[in-house]
Amino acid sequence: MDTSIWRPIIYLVCFMAFAGLNAAYLGWCERKGAGRIQRRTGPMEVGFHGLLQPLADGLKLMTKQLLVPEGVDQILFRIAPILAMIPALTSMVVIPFSDNIQGRAVELSVLMLFALASIGMIAILIGGWASANKYAVISAARAVSQNLAYEIPMLLTVITIVMITGSMNLQDIAMDQQGGFWHWNIFRFDKSIFMPVSFLIFFICSVAETNRAPFDMAEAESELIAGFMTEYGSMGFGLFMMGEYLNIVVGACLTTILFLGGWSCPFGLFPGVWWFLIKIYILIFTFIWVRWTYPRTQVYKLLNLSWKILIPFSMVNLLVTAAFIKVF
Amino acid sequence: MSAYWNDVFGGAKSLAIGLSITAREFFKPVITMQYPWEVPEIPERYRGHIELVKNEKTGKPKCICCGMCMRSCPSGCISLVGKKPEGEKKKVLTKYELDFTKCSLCGSCIESCNFGAIRFSKDYNLASTRKEDYVFDLLKRLEEQG
Amino acid sequence: MQEFICQTSANPSLFSAEGFVGLIFLVTIGLIVAGALVATCARRLVRSVAGLALCFTGVAGMYYFLLAPFVAMMQMLIYVGAVAILIAFAIMMATPEEGDLPGRRISALAGPLGFATGALLFAALTVLAIRTPWQVFPREGSADMKHIGTVLLTSHSMVFELISIVLLIAIIGALVLARRGRN
Repeated sequence: MDTSIWRPIIYLVCFMAFAGLNAAYLGWCERKGAGRIQRRTGPMEVGFHGLLQPLADGLKLMTKQLLVPEGVDQILFRIAPILAMIPALTSMVVIPFSDNIQGRAVELSVLMLFALASIGMIAILIGGWASANKYAVISAARAVSQNLAYEIPMLLTVITIVMITGSMNLQDIAMDQQGGFWHWNIFRFDKSIFMPVSFLIFFICSVAETNRAPFDMAEAESELIAGFMTEYGSMGFGLFMMGEYLNIVVGACLTTILFLGGWSCPFGLFPGVWWFLIKIYILIFTFIWVRWTYPRTQVYKLLNLSWKILIPFSMVNLLVTAAFIKVF
Repeated sequence: MSAYWNDVFGGAKSLAIGLSITAREFFKPVITMQYPWEVPEIPERYRGHIELVKNEKTGKPKCICCGMCMRSCPSGCISLVGKKPEGEKKKVLTKYELDFTKCSLCGSCIESCNFGAIRFSKDYNLASTRKEDYVFDLLKRLEEQG
Repeated sequence: MQEFICQTSANPSLFSAEGFVGLIFLVTIGLIVAGALVATCARRLVRSVAGLALCFTGVAGMYYFLLAPFVAMMQMLIYVGAVAILIAFAIMMATPEEGDLPGRRISALAGPLGFATGALLFAALTVLAIRTPWQVFPREGSADMKHIGTVLLTSHSMVFELISIVLLIAIIGALVLARRGRN
């Protein structure tokens, strides 16, 4: 009984700390990455190489007045940032970081992640609408139509993986890929010759799902000011921001587990949770790298990409995988 | 149909090229200057506000109070006062004020000075919220510079 | 979880696992009722949609308590993630202005009659629920996906076919509606 009480508490504290640190320090990483790519230094002033910058930013956000503009929907306006944060935090519970580090082994964890992501979508919609600001409403509509459009290829790709493994449990999916990189789903040519393409599709979709550049239509500064966050200040904005970064972490974790073998080491050396962390941070770096490489696309091009390229490709991959599994 | 495939493969190729460019840039050295910590060298012909030139031998300003600079200034931002002390032949500068709020850095004053007594300074980091701070007492400034 | 639910009736303390599960059960019911109330009573349509989403979330929790996590997740994914959002979209397209809907006088009888109908339904269902001798059936198979998949393609394949037809009709209908706008 003792262990059953303490285990969740320890996990809760650790995951909260992990999530909080990530949410805070990914902002720093992003600014540093953007700086390096543009041959600047990024934040340098607060602490060694700006390492205390996230703390300073957090303090600033927390001490600012929580402004609720006139004419907004009082209740929904306050609920939205919380709703944006909660699903991202909750998703951490089902993610297996290693074969024995997982908050709760849920049988349908893949599905659960997507179910939680849909709450995030509601948060954006509510936040955008409650702001009573035309830019916020346009941005919310864009964000949600984009999320809906990209959820389809993403789910189709996930179904491919689920078919290969025969389970919706992230733990099982990762276990299935143990031992050398040739067992990873991305290189499983015996299941489908298109697995790398499938990985690419999934990665593109996760960039789009997290509303990041080049798919950041929702907060296209040049047209929409700050999108659905326009009317938010202080910690309301902070929560949206943290939710966004946490979504990136969750996306990277999911990509790692589904395609890159979870915590398995490429060559069978030193198995452990660090391989998982290395992989997710490489993916997160790629997120940052992509963001500072490509200019923003247009809404209709974005939707065309999903409907005309990603969905047919993932559909074909699904059929090919089904055929391969049936034949071999 | 081939247009579609061209679009897909061409697009993928150009995306990869873009990524490779930024990856290369990532590892190149930083080219920006960390301003307050690193100060750039001010070019020779930089025009800051004017300053008085010191006579190296006497340690006094070279200015002989002829007032040419004051007269040549199109915006009238220079005002100087010279006094003849007891038993001296030449005037000595007692006050030299520059109203920098009006100065357009045209350099007429420097051209008009036959004695090389004024020149452009290299002062560029000026900031203040009050107008009065831009009325410089150049004589005092010279003394402070030592 | 099965045993937790069975023991909730034994009046456990709030801080035991059973008590906590019971509390969550009550919260779920609260979510459903509160969501439904907001959805019907709110003046602003957006709040109604938010209430509906809340209600759906509560229903998903209910499915989870009924040991059908797959249905619960699907409820979240489809009803919260898609249906509620599509309704919100529809509202966004339909009404440019918020506030009271103009026109159409509502009869004075509408409120009381609606209330009476609701109360009658509620009473009938309550009586039915109390009168029915509830018996616990042994579980047939599990609610996991493999079982659902097998059942859908064998003994319940009619359902599967019907769903396919409904979806096909929906797709065709959407295409017809969307095409009409273009010339």
